[in-house]
Amino acid sequence: MSRDKSGILDWFSRRLNLTEIFSLLTSYGLFYAELDTRKPLREALDEALERPVVSYGRWPRVLGLIVVVLIALEILTGALLSLYFLPTPQTAHASLGTILRDVDFGWFVHQIHFWGAQLLIAVLIVRIVRFFIQGVYRKPRELVWVFAALLLLVCFHLDMTGRVLPLTETAFWSSVRALEVVNAVPVYGSFMFFLAGGGEMFVSDLTLLRFYILHAAILPVLAVTLIYLHFSTIRRIGLTEASGDRKRVGRAALRNHLVNLAIILTLLFALLVTLAVLTPLPFQREADPYATVPGVGPPWYLLAPFGFLEITAGIVPQWLAGLLLFVVFSAFLALPFLERSREDRGRRWAVPVIAGLVVLAWFLLTIYGARVA
Amino acid sequence: MKRRRSVLDLLCVIALLAGASGTARAAGQCGVCHPESRVAFAASIHAREQVTCTSCHGGDADTQNVERAHSGSFRGLRNRLATPEMCATCHSDLQMMSAYNLPVDQYAVYQTSQHGMAVAGGDSSAAVCIDCHGSHVIYAAADPRSSVASRNIPTTCGVCHSDEELMERYGLDPGVVEDYETGIHGRSLLIAGNLAAPNCTSCHGVHGATPPGVGDIDKVCGACHVQTRRAFLDGPHYQGMTEAGLPECATCHSNHAIQGLEVASIDTLCADCHGENSDEVLLGSKMHTLIEAATVEVEKAEALVLEGERAALDVEDHLGRIEEARTYLTEALPLAHSVSLEPVEQVTRRSRSIGEEVQHEIYAKLDRTEAHIGLVVFWFYVFMTLVILFLLKRRMSAGGEIA
Repeated sequence: MSRDKSGILDWFSRRLNLTEIFSLLTSYGLFYAELDTRKPLREALDEALERPVVSYGRWPRVLGLIVVVLIALEILTGALLSLYFLPTPQTAHASLGTILRDVDFGWFVHQIHFWGAQLLIAVLIVRIVRFFIQGVYRKPRELVWVFAALLLLVCFHLDMTGRVLPLTETAFWSSVRALEVVNAVPVYGSFMFFLAGGGEMFVSDLTLLRFYILHAAILPVLAVTLIYLHFSTIRRIGLTEASGDRKRVGRAALRNHLVNLAIILTLLFALLVTLAVLTPLPFQREADPYATVPGVGPPWYLLAPFGFLEITAGIVPQWLAGLLLFVVFSAFLALPFLERSREDRGRRWAVPVIAGLVVLAWFLLTIYGARVA
Repeated sequence: MKRRRSVLDLLCVIALLAGASGTARAAGQCGVCHPESRVAFAASIHAREQVTCTSCHGGDADTQNVERAHSGSFRGLRNRLATPEMCATCHSDLQMMSAYNLPVDQYAVYQTSQHGMAVAGGDSSAAVCIDCHGSHVIYAAADPRSSVASRNIPTTCGVCHSDEELMERYGLDPGVVEDYETGIHGRSLLIAGNLAAPNCTSCHGVHGATPPGVGDIDKVCGACHVQTRRAFLDGPHYQGMTEAGLPECATCHSNHAIQGLEVASIDTLCADCHGENSDEVLLGSKMHTLIEAATVEVEKAEALVLEGERAALDVEDHLGRIEEARTYLTEALPLAHSVSLEPVEQVTRRSRSIGEEVQHEIYAKLDRTEAHIGLVVFWFYVFMTLVILFLLKRRMSAGGEIA
């Protein structure tokens, strides 16, 4: 264990608690083992690597890590885009044109930002489905579920607020449709409607600025906080199969695992770049608030509520339909607490069956919503 | 106090008297017996301009005594043929009409028309003023409710000119209005609502309604189709058709059921007169080919420009040039009426070369070869990275159990 004490790392570690800074990575699932922050970084790392690592970290339980990496990538590309993007109704569309046309690799950054967001939402959905199927919401993992579900909802909001920023035709009308849906939900709807600066035409001059601030400042902070809280709960209670896994895995296995992660992330990045180059998002015309583009529905994840409101329109008052949507969303968030209360009465099947029916209804309504849009 | 009150009383009485006499003058007493005419007249523009029953009918409007009302200057106006002269008493009066900026020569013009001449000959079936304008309910011509508003003209003319029995008497075709409605002009005016599209009067004259004779048709059509007429007069068709007694434009386009001819019909159209396999047919198909080829290039260029727009290219300039190419293409068809290849070739060559130029430029800008090469290089590095990582993994698992 002879180390060169005059290295730059040691120069810093004598002046900074590098271990504590590095341990931040563990809070975001980038490094599994806990670090002893009182020890110097090298020592703490060596110690952590000596600790046995259980098999929970293997595929497909690396989705959380992918989420963190994708969010980091979104923040990075978003920051780059914000260097040139001018969020006013008069300049937004033209400044995206500048980014795509005149800025070196501007198109690439924009496409990565777009496709990264699509992948992020897809991964989050796959992840929440896995949590549901494997019961990662039962005691004591209630908070794991709540934070993951909240993170999914926040990312939907990030997607919605981001889409409208360049004020392209379909994005504009798509967000008008989305706000129509949102507006139907009591309490939450009127709050979001106020936040969006919604006026008589649903999208006002304030909307763009508000969406920009939500998209570039408030929601990312919220997302990063939720991820932190999410991984904090995991670090407190451990992962699902942590207990009872007696597989002997030492230092080499952890390093092996890190190599596996590197392979997965390389493939992820390669996929993103390929999507960005081969299937770029077309640059659409600027929206005209006085000319509705026919056949534009809300974003895909809002098609089901949209279809639901369309079906119930005229049968039940809109606030009642909105209330039902609110109940479904609340139930989604509060799933762990719903089941626990049922469990006592010996009806464990109730939650999966009802949830299955809701998912089926959601799927059918999405198809219906896409057809009426 | 007392004096003020008496002044107030006096004012009230004056107001009442003024009000009562005012209404009496406006409505007259005629409406008491002729309520329908009064209601119809009240809506007309004449009622608004202080024309009263007696202005046309004479007599005394201030009495309910039938005898006295229908005496003196009273005119029954049962004789249709007398109406043009009667209307002219006001409408040919320059002083009266100048305030409305209305022409005063209508009566004179009318007398030269087929309608006017028939009336002069004592034909009571010919159209007089009231047949087109209505009698009691007359609206301003610009009023869409008016029977002589642009879009209502075909129907108004059709009242007589679609009447088979009546038209047979004059040896006229009763199908003209129907033909017009199916033609490009009729569809444009009546269906598309284009008020600039010609109605019957645009070609036949308004009050001086007369069909244009052979030799004059090019002038009538040329009033709107200026370029087409110029080219037509330059070419050999004008003289040839005049000598042969053919009705110029109408020879190919027909007169009422005018159809916008498809470019493709040039081929067959020439053969109608010149016979198949003639040089003229060859010329026609050459023109067709030129116009068609240019159109294809311009359309291709336009599609590419739209694609470029979606790829965030700056296409403002290209859109302008496409517009220019389209203008040249629009010129090609009028120029084809000169029946000579050169002018058509000139404009189609221009529009075609603009189309091709724009295509080349957009193609060059849309070229993603560099990005694709970059992607291949990128994947090479990805592959190498993966190989290294897999090698690393294998080496680690080989000596992995050291701990």
